[in-house]
Amino acid sequence: MNEHDRWSEEVAAYVLGALDAESAAGLEAHAESCERCRSEIRWLTSAVEALAEAPPRREPPPQLRERLLSEVDADVRAESPGVEPGGLRGWLAGVRIGSLTWKPLVGLVAVVLVVAVVAGYVVGNDSGGGEGGATYSGAEGAITAEVVRQGDGAELNLAHVAELPPDRVLEAWVQREGTVEPVKALFVPDRDGNASTMINDMSGVEVVMVTREPAGGTAAPTSTPIVTVPIKD
Amino acid sequence: MAVRREKAERLADEELMPLIGAKDPEAFAVFYDRHGGVAYSLAYRIVGEPGAAEDVTQEAFISVWRSGARYDRARGSVRSWMLSIVRNRAIDSLRAGAGKAPKLTFDDEAVLEQRPADELTEEEAMRHETASEIRGVLGQLPGDQSKVIELAYYGGFSQSEIAAMLGVPLGTVKGRMRLGLEKIRGEIAEGLA
Repeated sequence: MNEHDRWSEEVAAYVLGALDAESAAGLEAHAESCERCRSEIRWLTSAVEALAEAPPRREPPPQLRERLLSEVDADVRAESPGVEPGGLRGWLAGVRIGSLTWKPLVGLVAVVLVVAVVAGYVVGNDSGGGEGGATYSGAEGAITAEVVRQGDGAELNLAHVAELPPDRVLEAWVQREGTVEPVKALFVPDRDGNASTMINDMSGVEVVMVTREPAGGTAAPTSTPIVTVPIKD
Repeated sequence: MAVRREKAERLADEELMPLIGAKDPEAFAVFYDRHGGVAYSLAYRIVGEPGAAEDVTQEAFISVWRSGARYDRARGSVRSWMLSIVRNRAIDSLRAGAGKAPKLTFDDEAVLEQRPADELTEEEAMRHETASEIRGVLGQLPGDQSKVIELAYYGGFSQSEIAAMLGVPLGTVKGRMRLGLEKIRGEIAEGLA
């Protein structure tokens, strides 16, 4: 039995999500260089997508929609607390410094104060103060990773990441005082193998990691990191 | 600025996703109204009871709301992506012991949709018909093939677990999965969907 035949036997279980993680990773690695396996995966994935549509239709309870839209509205309000759209209030509410969002301020004195703070921040960054622009790197096999500090957060950039199966995403994690937390931003590589996401809060972060996870993400890593980046402050 | 509801309703799923990524509540509401039914139905099929199905559906849609900008259209339709999220969440819920054991037959037509057919939109009606036909195809599969497929997809069992559960060699499970999926795919290719 050749290499293709051996992995081809696993394709049905793979698309059904019934293959153990190690074998799934092996099949994915093989498929990167095997067009026949990629073709079989695409062909049978359509059958599995039909299975998702097959259950008898049930209408979700109306309160589910209400709860979802309430949660969504709460998210939007949290992004722009107390904002009245348009005008000076709206503009001030949109001024962001690092992770801080300025609540509406009224009156000339307040405007002057805000401008002064913004100017101070810019000057501070230009002079190389703080951690703005600090870069940390990591690599695992062909994958390279770079964490570029930006204010309180950072941009995480990966390169040479292999294509993911349709039901997998990349999920970033940070470790603080030995505890691993999700970054809550899922991402996928583009056709060139590049992938980026933002980490909003870098305070106390010791290590940044990335794992491959089921679509939608998970609360805790379910696979070993594809790359880790130590943060040395 | 949020798009108006009527405008959002005219957009394809793939066009809604950037708006959802930009935190547009109207775009999200339209997205839920399109796919909430099928998502809840799939979740219910897997977890087996309404409360857990609601939780799973809510988690999945909130996950889309918070990661909508990460959808990559090169990786398939938005609907398939959404349903894969629902399926993964539902299986997680099952494994956490939050739901009942999955049912293994498709002869439960008694629990069909509560809305009469004439209230469905044309697109919904077509999908409903397709779903019925897929259930028909599954019903026509040899029992040993449909069983391994249902245990894997709706039950979240690995092929090794299924082999042990049914007391058959692993190679037999692999073969039955393959044959069953090939038949379903063949029916789709013949224009079923």
